[in-house]
Amino acid sequence: MKKIIHNIIILTSIFVTGIGLILMSAGIVYADDCFNINNESIDKNTNTRPFICFEHDIHNETAGIENCSECHHIYDEHEELVPDESSEGQPCSECHADSKNSNNTDIGLAAKYHKLCRDCHLSREKGPVVCGECHRK
Amino acid sequence: MTEAKSVTETKKTEDQGILKGLEQLTPEKIESVIQQVLSDETGARLKVYVETCVHCGMCSKGCHFFLSLNDPRYSPAGKVKQTLWEIMRKKGKVSPEFIKQAATIAYTQCNMCKRCAMYCPFGLDVAYVMSVMRRICHKLGVVPLYIQDTAHSHSVTMNQMWVKDDEWIDTLMWQEEEAQDAMENLRIPLDKEGADIFYSVIGPEPKFRAQLIFQAAVIMNAAGENWTMPSMPGWDNSDMCMFTGDYEMMERLKRRHFESALNLRAKRIVMGECGHAFRSVYDVGNRALGWRMPPIEVVHAIEYYNELFENNKIKIKKKFEQPVTLHDPCNISRGRGLHEMARNIVNATCENFIEMTPNREHNYCCSAGGGVINCGPPFKNARVESGKQKAKQLFAAKAKGAEVVIAPCHNCHGGLEDIIHHYGVEMELKFFGDIIYEILELPE
Amino acid sequence: MHDYYSFFTGPFAWITFLVFIFGSGWRFYSIWQLAKKKDSAVFEYMNMKFALRSIAHWIIPFGSRSMQINPAMTVVTFMFHISLFITPLFVFGHVVLWKENFNISWFTLSNTVADLMTLIVIGSCLFFLWRRIKLADVRYLTTPMDFIILFIVAAPFVTGFWVYHQFPGFAVMTIIHIISGEIMLMAIPFTKLFHMFLFPFTRGYIGSEFGGVRMAKDW
Ligand code: HEM
Ligand code: SF4
Ligand code: SF4
Ligand code: SF4
Repeated sequence: MKKIIHNIIILTSIFVTGIGLILMSAGIVYADDCFNINNESIDKNTNTRPFICFEHDIHNETAGIENCSECHHIYDEHEELVPDESSEGQPCSECHADSKNSNNTDIGLAAKYHKLCRDCHLSREKGPVVCGECHRK
Repeated sequence: MTEAKSVTETKKTEDQGILKGLEQLTPEKIESVIQQVLSDETGARLKVYVETCVHCGMCSKGCHFFLSLNDPRYSPAGKVKQTLWEIMRKKGKVSPEFIKQAATIAYTQCNMCKRCAMYCPFGLDVAYVMSVMRRICHKLGVVPLYIQDTAHSHSVTMNQMWVKDDEWIDTLMWQEEEAQDAMENLRIPLDKEGADIFYSVIGPEPKFRAQLIFQAAVIMNAAGENWTMPSMPGWDNSDMCMFTGDYEMMERLKRRHFESALNLRAKRIVMGECGHAFRSVYDVGNRALGWRMPPIEVVHAIEYYNELFENNKIKIKKKFEQPVTLHDPCNISRGRGLHEMARNIVNATCENFIEMTPNREHNYCCSAGGGVINCGPPFKNARVESGKQKAKQLFAAKAKGAEVVIAPCHNCHGGLEDIIHHYGVEMELKFFGDIIYEILELPE
Repeated sequence: MHDYYSFFTGPFAWITFLVFIFGSGWRFYSIWQLAKKKDSAVFEYMNMKFALRSIAHWIIPFGSRSMQINPAMTVVTFMFHISLFITPLFVFGHVVLWKENFNISWFTLSNTVADLMTLIVIGSCLFFLWRRIKLADVRYLTTPMDFIILFIVAAPFVTGFWVYHQFPGFAVMTIIHIISGEIMLMAIPFTKLFHMFLFPFTRGYIGSEFGGVRMAKDW
């Protein structure tokens, strides 16, 4: 708690003095390794925000992820993670279609996507967590 | 210019009742009285009123004091700030000097007219907060001299004006005689049992405006009413104790008044044209005694006159010709919704009616109500200054042609008289009773 | 960065909700208890019909004379209150968080509308600030706390606007946005912001008095 309060103060001062730094860090782009979301089921929603380039290989290299199923996971019918299988090539909506019937399809999928990335980033204390870090204007 | 002057005048005002009361105060006494009132006599209502206020100032334009003087200290919430906010914040640890100022505000800078409650988005009732302040001042013995004198009169004689029992009966008999010149067999029946109407008046009527009793007697007789008046204390329906904060005494007064009517097994009480007395009987006093509504029907003169015209119980010779305007007294328009009936009467009796604006529930108080006029000469100048908005309103009605102001309330008469005089409005003041009496066709 | 995010969207968010809910509950309970003990007359005169009649007149723009003679305040305060209430509940970025955390969701505002409403709130706060400083009667009533509250109210909207438009430092600003929202929620039970909950009762009571006893309008 003390640490956090202390750091809030530091953070705020960083914010005041060093806004520019963050701007800079946003500018780095790896043009040839861009991963696009197939957002067919999402783009109905006028509120979707633009997604920045996701550098698949660089991301995994930096994060030290070797097992595809860490992200491209597969669950069995008991909602248990199936350890050695992965689901790359399959659209998320194929499984996360619980909400297909509802009119909130898009928001449900977005929510899953957000959780997948952010929960991992939070547990590793690395990588973007707030909206604007992935949804760049 | 007059604005600045009035403010300083108010501050300088030295009222002997307040000053003498202050001499006996110590900080300890102040604190303990305040604590007692706050914890025993108030509760959630006061707390919520004080704490909910968002300090937005919407109530300012509700108060004629603020509108007349354009000084933020006179806005309703501004008055709360100078009284109960401070008291509650300091938990009663305030100085005698503070009490002096608070008493001046509560007794002489608020007419308890409740107009502000109609302008505050939350309906916060500043008049209630001021009544709590008055209660504290009463318990501290810091009450303006003149109004305290009327309260003393109430407690000694059960009427407001030190009228002695025999004086009262004498006055009635005298008015009966006078009225017999107009109507031969006219009677003012005293203590008649089982009458339809128990007619009660305010203390100042026998003292200063006895002709009103005479007029009422003529109207009652012309209408062929089965009516009565009491010969003993209980005839006065007025109540200055309600305004000084002396609630124990107020309860005695109201009980005596109700009991007088009930003992005579009257069907209902009809009262003269007075606003505050009606409030004390219909709204405040009955509650203090534990009655949700009065234990016997109480009817204000306006409602009664309206009935007379609706049922064709009286006839008029011809309508009153001079153009009139109508002042809606707070206590019976905002206090009892009688404003439409008042208009019915105007239409039944007058040729030419000119509305003043704002009107009905939104009418400005005359600045005399809530006991302010009863605080007497030391505060008269300040009171008249705060009637500036009322004067403007009257001038506007006059510009449209009105020559007579009908004000069906004694206090309003007093207040408006001073305003009309001070600002040179030059309009005539009348009660409904005056007009009806003037045009009444007497039965053969 | 990550530990603040975790802390302020995790434990601290729960603390906020608890403080808000139990704080408000406690305020209601204590007022209720006190009213039952000391102001039984209030219950006696409360009248549903007249209470609702009064409330209706006062939540409709220009429904009362008071609003009619203060047109600027009326327009601003209605736009302000509506935006203040609607925006946080229906902005997409918030609804998606409800979906993520509680798997519930509802109607969302378009980004443009949400953006506009945010500006309305910020503009209104500036208007209130101007009134407080400029109008003598309002200034007389103003306490330092009134400025603090205005700041507390404006902060989530200013930071939210900042974050949405990704002005420099928006990542840090997101955290500040979260904290400012939490401060505002926690302030509600303990400041005059509680007026949002007391309004139906104060208005309803005076409406009942005016309607039931005084037989007059109160608007
Ligand atoms: C319908 C009932 C309500 C009424 C009549 C009402 C009235 C007011 C008024 C008159 C102000 C004064 C603005 C000023 O001069 O400072 C105000 C401010 C405010 N209200 Fe309300 N309000 C109501 C409900 C709400 C609700 C439901 C909320 C919360 C969602 C809310 C939140 C606020 C805030 C945050 C302020 C600004 C604080 C300030 O100016 O100090 N109000 N309200
Ligand atoms: S009750 Fe009347 S006189 Fe008193 S503050 Fe309210 S508007 Fe002014
Ligand atoms: S209008 Fe009501 S809330 Fe606003 S300052 Fe006046 S009393 Fe307070
Ligand atoms: S004296 Fe008349 S105008 Fe003044 S408060 Fe009483 S009823 Fe209202």
